Amino acid sequence: MQRSIAFEAFRYAVILGIVAISLVPTLWMISMAFKPIAEWSAAGADLTWWPRNPTLDNFRFIFGQSSTELIVALERTAGRPIFASLLTASVGTLIAMTAGTAAAYGLSRFGQGGNLPLALIQLRLFPPMAVMIPVMIMWSFLGLIDNWFGLSLIYGIVTLPFAFWLMKTFFDDMPREIEDAALVEGCTRWRVFLRITLPMMRPALASSALFVFILNWSDYLIALLLTTRDWATIPVYMASLSSSMTGQLYGAKAALGVIAAVPPIIMGIAIQKHLVRGLTFGALKE
Amino acid sequence: MTEVTTLMPATKKAETQANSAARLGLWLTLPAQLLVLFIALFPILMQVYISLTDWSPLDGIPWWRAYELWIGLLNYTDLMADSRFWGALWRTLFVMLVCVPVQFLLGLGLAVLFVDDFRGKRVLYSTLLVPMMVVPAVAGYMFFMLFQSGGPVNDLLSFFTSEPVRIAWLSDPDLALIAVMVADIWQWTPLMFLILLAGMISVPQDQQMAAILLGASWWRRFFTIVLPRMKSIIIIALAIRVIEIFKIFDTLFIMTGGGPGVATETISVYIYKVTQQELIWSYVAAIALAILIVLSVVSVFAIKRMQRGQDG
Amino acid sequence: MSEIALENLGKSFGDFTALADMNLTIANGEFMALLGPSGCGKSTTMNMIAGMLRPSSGTIKFNGLDVVDVPMAKRGVGFVFQNYAIFTHMSVRENLAYGLRAQGVRAGEMTKRVQAFAELLQLEPMLDRPAAGLSVNILQRLAIGRSAILEPAIFLLDEPLSNVDAAFRAVMRSELKSLQGQFGQTMVYVTHDQLEAMTMADRIAVMDHGKLLQVGTPLEIYNNPADTFVARFIGAPGMNILNGRLTQQADTVAVDLPGLGSVALPPALQAAAARLTTPDVLVGFRPEQINAAKAGLTMHVGFVERIGARTIVHMEQGAASAKAVLLSEVETPKARKDWTFAVPDDAIRLLDPVTGQALVGRPN
Repeated sequence: MQRSIAFEAFRYAVILGIVAISLVPTLWMISMAFKPIAEWSAAGADLTWWPRNPTLDNFRFIFGQSSTELIVALERTAGRPIFASLLTASVGTLIAMTAGTAAAYGLSRFGQGGNLPLALIQLRLFPPMAVMIPVMIMWSFLGLIDNWFGLSLIYGIVTLPFAFWLMKTFFDDMPREIEDAALVEGCTRWRVFLRITLPMMRPALASSALFVFILNWSDYLIALLLTTRDWATIPVYMASLSSSMTGQLYGAKAALGVIAAVPPIIMGIAIQKHLVRGLTFGALKE
Repeated sequence: MTEVTTLMPATKKAETQANSAARLGLWLTLPAQLLVLFIALFPILMQVYISLTDWSPLDGIPWWRAYELWIGLLNYTDLMADSRFWGALWRTLFVMLVCVPVQFLLGLGLAVLFVDDFRGKRVLYSTLLVPMMVVPAVAGYMFFMLFQSGGPVNDLLSFFTSEPVRIAWLSDPDLALIAVMVADIWQWTPLMFLILLAGMISVPQDQQMAAILLGASWWRRFFTIVLPRMKSIIIIALAIRVIEIFKIFDTLFIMTGGGPGVATETISVYIYKVTQQELIWSYVAAIALAILIVLSVVSVFAIKRMQRGQDG
Repeated sequence: MSEIALENLGKSFGDFTALADMNLTIANGEFMALLGPSGCGKSTTMNMIAGMLRPSSGTIKFNGLDVVDVPMAKRGVGFVFQNYAIFTHMSVRENLAYGLRAQGVRAGEMTKRVQAFAELLQLEPMLDRPAAGLSVNILQRLAIGRSAILEPAIFLLDEPLSNVDAAFRAVMRSELKSLQGQFGQTMVYVTHDQLEAMTMADRIAVMDHGKLLQVGTPLEIYNNPADTFVARFIGAPGMNILNGRLTQQADTVAVDLPGLGSVALPPALQAAAARLTTPDVLVGFRPEQINAAKAGLTMHVGFVERIGARTIVHMEQGAASAKAVLLSEVETPKARKDWTFAVPDDAIRLLDPVTGQALVGRPN
């Protein structure tokens, strides 16, 4: 269909305008991350949009190397929280994907667990805040507060609905003929699942796992409630990057923010095709 | 072994196969069932129990002996009269009523612009999705920086006025909520856009062609063909945002901490504060339970209705 | 009412030429079928007439007026899609009224016209039913009615019967034909089914690989196919085409079919045969025109297919193969035996073995 040049101009003007606005906050953080202290501190006289003297000092600082300008020594460096975020998000993803994939296959092929779809949507519906009191009581009873496994387990449960629904739509899409052929050959169903179905679903598993990982990596509230110090994740740790001497350490926070923000953006773009499916619980497949 | 199976009558063999399949299905769904039970049953029972007491972790008695502090339904009657709770609830609903329509209209408008092909579509599309992939807590820090009185938002506004703007966005009770809503709109409009565009693309092309050939204008087509055909996906998109805004916490909490005062205190922030700062866990249990019950009723009703709508 | 003229019409998508140099005039009130296998360019042609595609070359004229720059909404063309594109989220009445409403027809007038059309198309009982879930022949009527209510001068139909099961097609065909009689518009009908084209169309345009091969009435095309493609495509089964050699016998020319025997040429083809520079030629004849005979051509019968009133005989001889369609009450040949048959003089067609073009009987 032909469209007028005026419409095309209008389209580009609006889209580019919105793209520009939507990029400002992210670009501002990136800019802050590379600014020297004089450009980001409250003492800095006027605002600079782009670093005049770009530096890696902020990144060095959060990993424990103080510069001449910033002589505050950090009590804890960012290394441990980054590791905590990585570990808990990964183990949480593993739990959600294992339980979710198995249950999705059980429902999709054998019709077992018919209560799960609705139960899991409801689980997704509730504010995590509304179930955290019992979890906190149980966790402290079991000694799982400020513990990597305690946090991972909750992550696994919270993201289970996504893992389950994504894998369910993928299994529903998969033709059964190949499995049936293997069954006729005399394979047991269990073998078929492990040796034929799962290898065939590798791309779907990878996409779903990335999706779930992004969700776990993005958590703040649960880590805020269940960790105190040793296993504080990046966002929780970030709050500690301010001191009475310097006030908010904007540059350091921005540097850590960049480190936290980059992986999910890359992963998200990589699995763009499946984002809608994951976010709408399979109601719409692109 | 093979001899036995071949000797078995065909029907019996099929029966055993069906049985073993059902058993395998049960085993496969078991872990998920246990996890759901673990997060649903225990917490709710515990929540019911604790909410009928006056227990707090500071009392020095373990939770299972909370019955010593039995107060019956007092927490619930307190809740009815808790103006801070109702304030937080209305504030949450207000944010919902502003943000969801704005995100919907922006997302729909963008979807219209993206629905047919143009040069650079893929790159612009991916770029527009970036905000929703930023970790919400990090987005909170971003907007915290942006809305400082010496920050870039004021700097941009100064561009339009004669003297430098020095608005203290986050410490002004009236403006803080606006700043918080701007952040939410920034981060979640892309999600609306993503879902609505997918829905719009799935509207059959020949229906639109048929309408054009019958002389329908673009607007008429949009309102009589495109929007009605997108009905269920629009409902899903709105529902997702309504649910998520009801839980709103990360970005907001980092930007304002719920303040100044209670100016940006939403339900989740309020519960968090009572949990972490005032430590009245039995009262929190009562609030949480009340919310869970209301949400369960609403969600079961909504999902049943939607399923009926899809069948019809 | 409108006459459609396609002049040197062409369309290419990048390197791929979907349609080349098409010239065709469709008369007022005519039912024209565009017939060809998929990918032959028939849908491309139709979409250009409707205005969904812009021609790469050539023009389209309605009543002598160039419409290439007229947007599709303004061409006054009714279009019936392959799957009917019924608005399934509306009622039957809303579907019928859609075009009228879009054109701003007054409410009173609209109700009257919808009522009138509903009566005409026998849609009255289901006017207020949702359009989803109606049976396929009602959908077809509704699709036609939805366009026809705007009284378009031209009606385009894109394989409307391809989603219908075979048993129902005959009903749909006759219904479609009678609707065209009622409305009297110029109709262009795209199909890959030669039976549909033969039974409904006033004239047929046969296309293949983006080229128009032949235009004519169903009988003309059946009797005098322009080339080997048309000869084989039209008819079920298609025309038999065998290799032959011209031989001079006394003062007439006959064709020798190696291994089968020879046939005499009708007088009309003698002159055409004489113009050929080589003796090689293709001989065509319809399977229906074969009769058992004492003398004539002999072929080996492979197998015999009985389909009710008719019987199809599959024959081979060396590299040549042919079919015969006989009435079942006639004594049919036995399988795996030789069979001798005759082809009437006037059933013989000659085609050029190099170009595949038919050699026309009458000079000029």
